Amino acid sequence: MATMNKLARILMVEDDPRDVELTLTALEEYNLANEVIVTRDGEQALDYLYYRGEYKTRSSGNPAVMLLDLKLPKVDGLEVLKQIKSDGELRMIPVVVLTSSKEEKDMVASYKLGVNAYVVKPVDFHEFVNAIKELGVFWAVINEPPPGSVRK
Amino acid sequence: MARLNLQLQFAHSPILRYGLAATSFAIALGLALLAQRYSFRNMEVALFLFAIAVTVWYAGIWPAILAVVLSSLAFNYFFTEPRYSLYVTNSELPHYAVFLLFALLLIWFSAVRRRVEQQLLQSRDELQREVVKRTEQASLLNLTHDTIFVRDMSDIISYWNRGAEELYGWRAQEAVGKHSHELLQTDFPIPIEEVRAELLHTGRWEGELRKTKADGSRVVVASRWSLRQNDGGRAVAILETNNDITEHKRREQDIQNLNQELAKRSTELESINRELETFAYSVSHDLRAPLRHMAGYAEMLQKKSSSVVDEKSNHYMAMILDSAKRMGNLIDDLLVFSRIGRAEPQKTLVSLAHLVREAITEVREDTEGRNIDWKIGALPDFYGDRSMLRLVVVNLISNAIKFTRTRTQAQIEIGYCEGNRNDLVVFVRDNGVGFDMKYVNKLFGVFQRLHPSDAFEGTGIGLATVQRIIHRHGGKVWAEGLVDSGATFYFSAPKPQGDLWQP
Repeated sequence: MATMNKLARILMVEDDPRDVELTLTALEEYNLANEVIVTRDGEQALDYLYYRGEYKTRSSGNPAVMLLDLKLPKVDGLEVLKQIKSDGELRMIPVVVLTSSKEEKDMVASYKLGVNAYVVKPVDFHEFVNAIKELGVFWAVINEPPPGSVRK
Repeated sequence: MARLNLQLQFAHSPILRYGLAATSFAIALGLALLAQRYSFRNMEVALFLFAIAVTVWYAGIWPAILAVVLSSLAFNYFFTEPRYSLYVTNSELPHYAVFLLFALLLIWFSAVRRRVEQQLLQSRDELQREVVKRTEQASLLNLTHDTIFVRDMSDIISYWNRGAEELYGWRAQEAVGKHSHELLQTDFPIPIEEVRAELLHTGRWEGELRKTKADGSRVVVASRWSLRQNDGGRAVAILETNNDITEHKRREQDIQNLNQELAKRSTELESINRELETFAYSVSHDLRAPLRHMAGYAEMLQKKSSSVVDEKSNHYMAMILDSAKRMGNLIDDLLVFSRIGRAEPQKTLVSLAHLVREAITEVREDTEGRNIDWKIGALPDFYGDRSMLRLVVVNLISNAIKFTRTRTQAQIEIGYCEGNRNDLVVFVRDNGVGFDMKYVNKLFGVFQRLHPSDAFEGTGIGLATVQRIIHRHGGKVWAEGLVDSGATFYFSAPKPQGDLWQP
């Protein structure tokens, strides 16, 4: 898989640096982390998608998949999801909610807003690594992203 | 009355009436002839007039006219020249005319007077009957416990029944003649002009009034007013009926207060529930994150250093990972437990047999390599929340599997027995390690465990969750056990209504 020259850009929205580190470690372990953009809150994530603020001059193209935490500073995950799914340009981006919360309420709300997958981060690191690996492989390699996504 | 009746009877029988005319005439004639014989002069006219007067008085006009005719003939025959002949000379004609005129006048006067007297008697009689009737009505009004009084159009009380005496404390003789609103200090909920307008327009009014008793205490009454009109349609009096609703109002107020209190409490409860939900949410999210990090970094450390550190250090790292995992399970179980307390059961008819099959499939991992003898009897349908009941069945079955682990041949029996009339009782029985009945009360408490966790793993929340679910379904849970001789867990719930129930 690592040899497949077909890695997509992953946009990760996660405020906890430890989660970022663990996720990146998991992705690295399977060489899936060639291009992971990390944003630390909902506002930054939207800035990235809309070429605003510090991302004004970023290279063009949408991520092939977005890993979205729900509990985020400033603009929370559900709000980000809502904005993306109600935007004609962005709604095609596959969004995977990656969260600590097993609350049914959040799950229902996310699916109602049109989330593409909902993953609860397992406490066990093995399971966590497996989950990230499978997500990375599926969305960044197997899945054909919508036109306009960055894929190297 | 008796006299009147006699007179009417007398007057109504024609034989008696005309007989009276003839008799009084005969008596008058006899007396006149007798007077003539003894040379009393000119008595005859007076006697005949007297006979006519008696006749008209007691027998009416037509017998009197008969008496006039007879008297005229007798007068002519016996008392005028030529005697014993009916011949009338011209010079006697004015006499006759005067006699007849006088007789007719007498008849007319008598008839008028008699008619007037009869009318008077009749009126008196009617009046008497009316008085009797009214007295009866008034005493009937006194029988009722309702408060009734009558006042004229200037609100002066004219009638005051016993109910009014009892309610307000004034006797009839004290109240009659007083101004009712002043006596009772009536409080009107709307201007009295409006009350009067409605009364005059529709003939009635009803509403709640506050009044004052003789002892000064206030009462609330349901008051109904009816307008009494005379024959000409003019309003003459108001009949007011009052019912004391003070106690009723007080209770209404009490209920209202209680309702308000209840609404306040339930709002408080709701807000506490919301807080609890927020709390559970943050437990779910914020406690799990650091735990996950701990486990993640420990594992990375283990991976990097397992070959360079000693066995003891490896053991420590393994314990850190194991503890993190257990805490994760604890948090998950606690969340389920708290969610069951908050969620309203979504009840449908659930097949227990189905749930048991599902549960056994779900715990298959734990039964691998085990020798378990399943005995599953006929099971009833339950009316309840499917996912909650599933949790009950899964918990009880995995408990049975867990605590029979030390048996080479495990036996697990699931069945149902009749409870009392309205309940179904389901049991799960095993031949596992059992428990001491001394500690039966601890079984269903949160975090309560009867075995060391290294012997039988678990969070100590499973049975508490089972109990909470069954309680929310209106049932009971209990257990029987003996150390080293197995345990039986029972739960009951109300039978589904009607024909839905089937074993």
